[in-house]
Amino acid sequence: MPQKIIIDCDPGHDDAIAILLAAGNPEIELLGITTVAGNQTIEKVTRNALAVCTVAGIRVPVARGAAVPLVEPQMVAEDIHGDTGLDGPYLPPSQLELDPRSGAQFIVDTVMAHEPGSVSLVPVGPFTNIALAMRLEPRIVDRVKSVVVMGGAYTRGNVTPGAEFNVYVDPEAAEAVFRAPWEVTMMGLDLTHQALATAELQDRVRAVGGPISRLVLDIWEFVGSTYKRQYEFDAPPVHDACCVAALIDPDAFTTALADVRVELRGEWTRGTTVVNFLDAPGMHHSNGSALAQTDYRTRIATALDWERFADQVVDAVERLTAALG
Amino acid sequence: MERIILDCDPGHDDALAILLAAGNPEIELLGITTVAGNQTIEKVTRNALAACAWAGIRVPVAAGATRPFLGEQLTAGEIHGASGMDGPELPEPLVDLDPRHAVAFIIETVMAAEPKTVTLVPIGPLTNIALALRQEPRLADRVKQVVLMGGAYAVHGRSPVTEFNIAADPESAAVVFEAGWPLTMAPLDLTYQALATDDVIARFGEIPGHLGGIVVELLEFFSSRYRAERALAAAPVHDPCAVAWLIDRDVFTTRPATVVVETAGTYARGQTVTDFLGQLGRPANAEVAITLDRDRFWALMTDAVARLSRPVT
Repeated sequence: MPQKIIIDCDPGHDDAIAILLAAGNPEIELLGITTVAGNQTIEKVTRNALAVCTVAGIRVPVARGAAVPLVEPQMVAEDIHGDTGLDGPYLPPSQLELDPRSGAQFIVDTVMAHEPGSVSLVPVGPFTNIALAMRLEPRIVDRVKSVVVMGGAYTRGNVTPGAEFNVYVDPEAAEAVFRAPWEVTMMGLDLTHQALATAELQDRVRAVGGPISRLVLDIWEFVGSTYKRQYEFDAPPVHDACCVAALIDPDAFTTALADVRVELRGEWTRGTTVVNFLDAPGMHHSNGSALAQTDYRTRIATALDWERFADQVVDAVERLTAALG
Repeated sequence: MERIILDCDPGHDDALAILLAAGNPEIELLGITTVAGNQTIEKVTRNALAACAWAGIRVPVAAGATRPFLGEQLTAGEIHGASGMDGPELPEPLVDLDPRHAVAFIIETVMAAEPKTVTLVPIGPLTNIALALRQEPRLADRVKQVVLMGGAYAVHGRSPVTEFNIAADPESAAVVFEAGWPLTMAPLDLTYQALATDDVIARFGEIPGHLGGIVVELLEFFSSRYRAERALAAAPVHDPCAVAWLIDRDVFTTRPATVVVETAGTYARGQTVTDFLGQLGRPANAEVAITLDRDRFWALMTDAVARLSRPVT
């Protein structure tokens, strides 16, 4: 039985790979894609989601979600993803129709229409839609199987020194997601910086050939150059695909339980995920603020088996390419 | 030759920093000031005098701030014990306490010396240093540099994101990091590389004289607490790292960064937000220690204890 998922995303280069991996892996049944303002405006990321589906022959509902965060003004990541939000590849005009519902409503309807415990949410952009859906229909919290998020970090940041983009953009929404009593697995930067599209992986994707291979390589070429410039990386991290990969092959990931809080009030640390591990040398305390962080419910991914991750990505590109005929 | 004032809250690792500063010929220890931190000001001051007595160190010792600038004092009894320096028996002081407040001692010592000749080495909460700077703003230009133990950028101690010395007095830390003086920070990320493993402790046991044995007792107690409280294999010997770098710049590598101290925040208050990539758009204000050369560090430490152990001729 494939796992039913909804990807909530802001494509975004790595978001596009997450969509391809979800659509191209037989272990996953992609129920739909919802979009959220993040890497670029809601219009741009929604157009990009449709374009990726068009190129890859993916036919699933796409619903446009929130245009602004709950509290903060919107910010985008043009420095990484470019003016379109998916600069680099040629993206054809899409004939696909948007689902008429809002992203949050699509999530609510889809979760409630399926058996309890059968749908997983995969938010890989700011968590605005997820937080809105929770408040629209609180029963989804019990009904969802699991939530696998790309966001946060425990040793680094990519917007500020300690804050990761998806959490930083909408900290209130992120805190709502981490506080809700559902099973959350966090793919933070500490993990996703291990999921690099190295030259080796790019060569393997190149060997597949065809339009999807071309799309993936153009994506990595562009985002590789921005990561080189902004962060001194030698290869671009494929952040968002990690969430899908973890649902396909959990054993490729090492995880640890932790209490995660989103700092909402800091002057320099707003939007930081403050992660208190249940079992981590140097982080056990008889006093200090860690005393307030003993709700060890969130599973934090800490280490990735890169080979297995790379195999998944190549396999998905191969399957989608074969399906194009 | 570096002329330094060591501002500390002994503390096991503070005691080792005192021994390193007094025992190494490249350091002229102008005085020791104490600050409420690992334990109350009474206890840490007594411990500073005791550390001097163990090694026959005769330098001025001045007691300082009794509490942080805002909020309640934090202590670290779970790590350092009820006395603040549990383990060996504490001897009677050899010298009387300097009559001045630590802040007055720091100001007078720095202003009496030639400009840019005195280095401040704060290895406890930064209360005394911030008070001195506000009382005598010329200090910012007059001191040669500040080399502190405190903060963290990826490894954390006091909470998931903070280190004790900074969390104990974030406002004072913010003052010190914003002062515009040359500043080097030895964070937890560095000092967690200075582990007092059994083979290291054994080397102190081989030094003739009583001092080596005292160091063994200090480190064994310290390591036992870190094993029990922090699930670490051995104690990180934080504070001497700052002194060691003044003796030998190859003891650790550094990288320039912008460091700001979070003074707000529910969970992150006291975090040293460390920006290596220019994400904050502010100029660098610190050299941050990255990688420790363990062999050099422990060689300096054992050498200092051996020198202090030699009979005075």
